[in-house]
Parts: sequence; structure tokens; C-alpha cells
Amino acid sequence: MLFSSITFLFYFIPIVILVYYMMPKRLRNGVLLFASLVFYAWGEPKYVLFMLFSVTQGYVAGRLVERYRGRMGARIALALSVVFSLGMLGYFKYADFFISNFNTVTGLSIPLLRVTLPVGISFYTFQIMSYVIDVYRADAKAQKNYVNLATYISMFPQLIAGPIVRYTDLERQLTERTYEMSAVAQGVRRFVLGLGKKILIANVLGELVEINKATGENSVLFLWMYAIACSLQIYYDFSGYSDMAVGLGLILGFHFPENFNYPFIAGSITEFWRRWHMSLGTWFRDYLYIPLGGNRVGTIHWMFNILIVWMATGFWHGASWNFILWGLFFALFLVLEKLFLLRYLKRSHVWKHIYVILLTVVSFVIFDSAELSLAFGNIRALFGGAELPLVTYETMYYLKSYTVILVIGLIGATPLPKYLVNRVWKTRAGEKWNCILEPVVLLAIVVMCTAFLIGGSFNPFLYFRF
Amino acid sequence: MKWKNRILVILVAAFLGGFGLWSVILKDQEISVSERRELAQAPELSWDSLISGKYMNAFEEYVLDQFPMRDTFLGLKNDITEKVLFQKNADYYVADGYAAAVESRLNEESIAYAAERFRFLYDKYLADTDVNIYLSIIPDKNYFLAKPNGYLTMDYAKLAEQMQASMEYASYIDLFPYLDCRDYYYTDTHWRQENILQVAEVLGQQMGVSLSSAYETRTIPQPFYGYYYNLVNQSMEPDTIRYLTNDVLEQAVVFDYETNRETDVYTLQRAEGDDPYEIFLGGPKSLLTIENERASTDKELIVFRDSFGSSLAPLLVEGYRKITLIDIRYIVPAMLGRFVTFDDQDVLFLYNAAVLNHSETLK
Repeated sequence: MLFSSITFLFYFIPIVILVYYMMPKRLRNGVLLFASLVFYAWGEPKYVLFMLFSVTQGYVAGRLVERYRGRMGARIALALSVVFSLGMLGYFKYADFFISNFNTVTGLSIPLLRVTLPVGISFYTFQIMSYVIDVYRADAKAQKNYVNLATYISMFPQLIAGPIVRYTDLERQLTERTYEMSAVAQGVRRFVLGLGKKILIANVLGELVEINKATGENSVLFLWMYAIACSLQIYYDFSGYSDMAVGLGLILGFHFPENFNYPFIAGSITEFWRRWHMSLGTWFRDYLYIPLGGNRVGTIHWMFNILIVWMATGFWHGASWNFILWGLFFALFLVLEKLFLLRYLKRSHVWKHIYVILLTVVSFVIFDSAELSLAFGNIRALFGGAELPLVTYETMYYLKSYTVILVIGLIGATPLPKYLVNRVWKTRAGEKWNCILEPVVLLAIVVMCTAFLIGGSFNPFLYFRF
Repeated sequence: MKWKNRILVILVAAFLGGFGLWSVILKDQEISVSERRELAQAPELSWDSLISGKYMNAFEEYVLDQFPMRDTFLGLKNDITEKVLFQKNADYYVADGYAAAVESRLNEESIAYAAERFRFLYDKYLADTDVNIYLSIIPDKNYFLAKPNGYLTMDYAKLAEQMQASMEYASYIDLFPYLDCRDYYYTDTHWRQENILQVAEVLGQQMGVSLSSAYETRTIPQPFYGYYYNLVNQSMEPDTIRYLTNDVLEQAVVFDYETNRETDVYTLQRAEGDDPYEIFLGGPKSLLTIENERASTDKELIVFRDSFGSSLAPLLVEGYRKITLIDIRYIVPAMLGRFVTFDDQDVLFLYNAAVLNHSETLK
């Protein structure tokens, strides 16, 4: 089920929240687990049992690790659980990628498995792995209550598009959480803003992206519009989903970690990745980069670690070469920054932002290209390397049509709107009227989102390959 | 602060819960008058549909179609798109008082598909006969309105070239110079019969028949709210439908192969229905013949056509003893041999550009 759907907004959420708050506190995890299974089964009826099986193996592994702590049994349980998790991810997500590449290299024609990828498998598998590893490291106690663990892993707000919530972040909240009207209201605020980011901005920008892909009359300007729209679409879609997840968490009494923090205002790629999909970056840092030795090794080894981690980060986003290249593209600039570039970037005020925006926009062209050749072709064309006109009638037409949303998208990706809203609320008139104005504005966003959904607007789900 | 939080939670919860409840209580509608289409109905629940996910997909469509105040939300979406985002690429627009659908891009695959379907007809029925084959393309309103008003438009010249190149067996009759946007209804996609006499004359001349063009104009009293009337985000005046008649047409006999019944050229009772344009030969029909006992020749005409042909065909009746109208959107071409004998008739492929650009409905 998608957050941006009538079924979710008008049936699922009202019923779940009503039942959740009518139940005694001790039964609320059960309600949440049941709701999460319904939520998942609505989109993936065949794979709901597989997800429960994955949860079960994580639960058993966690218990065994704790039982045999310090002994060989714990290591075996950990290894088996990690191998199972990675094996399932490998089978469902990566098998056909490896087979097709093997076929290309060897000239063989081993048939592809063509297995449907279970939605959200990368998110919940990483959560299961982090749980078992944290128990092994004694950073967390094994969860004895199966329902509590299954609730944590399958919790619908973050099940299909993150953030990747670590078990240690939620361990206490699974049994001891507080419910306050202020948190619920803050959750509603975050959810509505996330919904607006997804439906009113990301989806509209997505239309422009699709129009460019289908055009027969491309131009250099049109390609830049595509690249900027694509970058902003992915940002608003992904951060919108994360806002909705954080908001739903607050409504249900949970505090999820933040996932995005205005990444496009970063002054370096290093900083960009501290602001973009933070839960994934933290996961790879804690469970791959540091175990590989992190930066406490020789320079060559350090650079190698960075390459491995960023190749894995790219590959996590999808079983395709463009995602690997996307990760390596960032790895290259991260290495350059660590070697010398960061010193120069820190001295500049404007160039560092131009540098980040240019690189991230180019990176999202790679991210969005189904084929490497298409990615290279588009990047070459962006810089005038293809025989495209600078501008066409069609380009100007779509520029006029999408200028407003592009400007909204660009300004909204900075902290400026938040700053201005806070300034207005602090004025005398703002203090007087904001108790009415803010709810009305947020309700207006919900109404507009409903209108866009009813109107059958472009509403893609970008995470089907994750 | 406490009050603000409460107001916010109550407002959003009331909206989501209220509309959710309302949509459950609300009686399902069968059709959308504004969109002129059937609305999705509640899907049947079965184990198979549940496991395959078909039920969920059908349910999503159902709740979208049956949502309370659907038309109001559609209007709001259009308002936001046009008046807040200043987007011009909506599906429909009004320019110079005429409503039109955006045809922004020539769909060459669709044109090729249409040509391939016509090639099938040619190979199966026409190739080894003495028929004279003609092709005519009717421009849609975009051709006249789009560019001057800043809208995207497809390349009509390229469309005509592609069709002519694919149908080398047909003589092309160019109708573009004989039409302008005044020849179309304000609120509907179709042309006005009273304004296309010259088009009929040109077709007649090219196909070697003479038409007197002596008709009496009659007006149907009902206002005509055309296809675009509710789709554009502007209030418009309804159109008026006029039709041309004379003794020849009043005595001509129309035979409808779908109902196996004889009928009139103008089905006036259709003026009371949802689409009064259906007075012209009874609306969408797979196979019709019009017989004219008073014709001065024994010539026959076969027209492969879309709905534009319904209002044009009566104007050609005078020149032919029999006109056969075939709409391959509603009949499988392989079955035509059971009903029609192709030997030495005139054969006209008469299609609106928008139909060729979205030819997936051709069988």
C-alpha cells in the first residue's frame, strides 16, 4: 500500500489509529503488527509470509546469540542469520543481475530467475541484520517477545521506504513509550508536509522527467531541466516518504531518526552524505565501513574501504550497473575531498555549493538512467557534447509550464521556507493567528493532495528496485 | 499551543475519517457525466484475486472513481495546475472560445499501427479488386488552435506524409485547406455538419460524383454539451446541433447490422441522450449501410471511418446508390467478409488525426 493513495489515507490510517488508541497499551504492539502485515499484504500478498519468516530467523538468531554469548554458538548463529539475510537479498534482488552479467562475459545463456522483488526487502533485511549484529555486539539485548520484534521490523510507517530504523533506537520505545497530544500534532504536521512534498512537488516534477524521457525533440536546456527536475523529484519523494514515516511514528508514539537534512545546501559531497538518506549512511558506516577498518588504516586501505562502502551503497539502491556507478561516482569525489579537495572547498563560499549541486545533479542522471550508455549519453549532452539544439519550441513550452514548480522545488530544498515561517510565527500577528492559520494551511495541503490523487496525477513508487 | 495542536489533529482527522466514512456510505455511481465514462465498481473478493493482488488494484481504482465530491476535487486539481502552477500541459484547454484536447506529440508508432491495420484491410479485401481507394485525414481542432495560443501540437504534415507513404495504394484527398476551427463545435471534438458541405464537395469531386448541396437546415432544440464541456476548467455556453436534410436523405434507408433493423439517417430521439451528436446515424456503430434508391448512378462507396464520418456520410448519399460505413474500432476486420463484398466500389479511409494518433482502439 502506498502512503500516497486514497486507500491508505482515508481508510487504513483512520481505522488503524482509532483501533490503536482504543486498545490497552499492552495490546498496541499487536495492533501495529497486524496493521503492518495488512499494509504489506495489500501490495505484496505473496511475500508477507516470507517477511514473517525473515523476522522469525532474526528472532531465533538473536535469542541464540544471547544464549551462547561469548561462545562459538553465538558466532554461528550470527553468521547463519547474516548469510540467510544476504542470501535472500541476493536471490531476490541480485541473482538476475549476476546471471545476466555472467552470460555476457562467458557467452553462456543461463536462464534468468525472473523472481519478483519483494517490496521493502532491502529495508527490513538491513533492520534484521542490524538487530542480530547489535545483539552479538552486546549493544542491545535480544528481544524475547516475538510480537515486539516483529512490530519493530515490519512497522508500516518505515517498512517500504525507510528510514532504516536501528533496533537500538526503538528498543525502549517498543515497551515504554509515551503518548502526548503535542507529539501527535507534530506527527500530523510532519505527515502532511511529507504528503505534500510527495504529491504536490515530487509527482509534478516527475511528470517533467517522464515528458523529457519521451520527447522526440530534446535540447540542451531541456536536458538540464530534466536533470534538475529528476534530482528534486528524488529528493522530495524520498524525503517526503521519510517525513511521513517520522510523522506516523510520532502519531503512534515512536521517535524515528531523521533521514534528510537539506542535502542540497551542503558545501561538500562529504557533507551531502551526512544530510542525504542519513539512516543508510549510518548503517553502512557502522556495519561495513568501521568493521573494514574505517579511517584507522593506511591511506591506500582507507581509500579501498571508501570504494567498497560506496559501491555497496550504490548497489543497495538496485541491481544495475548505473547504481554501482552512482556509488563509485560519489566514492571518487569523497576520496578526492579527503585527500585535498575539502581544504579548498572550506575556503570558498559560493563555489562549494555550485560544486555540490553540479555533481549531485549529474549523479542523479546516472541514478535515473536504465542503461549506462544512456547515462553517459545524457551527461555528454548536458555539456554540449551531443548534437542537440540549445533550445526548441517544445523546451520553452515546458519551461513555461514547469517554471513555478521548479522554483518552488529549488527554494523548498533550502531551509529558507522554514526560516521565513518561523519569523512570521514570531511576529505579533503570527502569534495571534497561527493557532488557526497553521491547521488551516495544513488541511489545505491535505485537500490539495486529495484533489491530485482523485485527478489521477502521475504517482510513481520509486523504491520498487530498492 | 495546546489549542493549536488540538485544532490541527481534529481538522485533519475529521477530514480523513469523515471522507473515508462518507465514501463508504455514499451510493456508488455507474457513470461520470462530466467525464463521459463508466466508473469502476466494487470488485468481487475472491481468494485468487486477493493472492494475485488484482483485488487490491481494482479496489484502488474503485475508491478513486467513487470518491465523494469527485468532480469538485477534479476541478480543484485543474485550478491548482492552471492558476497556481501556471501549467499549460493540462489535457484540455479553451482557446478562442473553443475547447480542445492537447495533442502534443506525433505518436509515430500509433500512426504505423493504424497504417498496418489499413494494410490488413487492403491485403485481405481490396488488393485483387477493381476498387478505387482514397485516403483523407480530418484535422482536429488543435491544428488550428494550438500554436497560435501557445500550446504544443503534433506535426500534422508529418502525420499526413507518414499515412500517405504507408498507403501507397490510396489517392490522398487533402481536406486541411477546406476547414478551420469555426467548422467545429465549441464544446465538442466533432465538426459541424452544416459547415462541411465544401468538404463533401471536394471528396465528391475527387471520387467522381456530383453533389447538389441543396439541403434544408434544421436545429435540434436541446442544448449540446459536448465532450469537452465538463473537462475544461472554464464555463462555456452549450453548442447547438444543426443537421442538413432533403428528400433524398429522408427517403434513404439506413440498415444497422448490430440491431438488424432499418432506421433513419438522423436518429432524432438521440438528441435527448447524453451525447446528442449521436443523432447522426445513431452514434457509434460497427457496420451500417445507407441505400438511396433515387441515386442517379449505381456507384457504391465504402467508408472506413470514425465518428466524424457519421455527420459527413449523409452529405455523400446523393452521389451513391449505397454507402457502407465500417468502424473497425467496433468490428474485427477479419469478420467483414461475411457482410461486405468488395469488388468495384469507391473505398474511402476517412479518419480524424487524433484517432490515428491514438489508434490502439483500431481492431
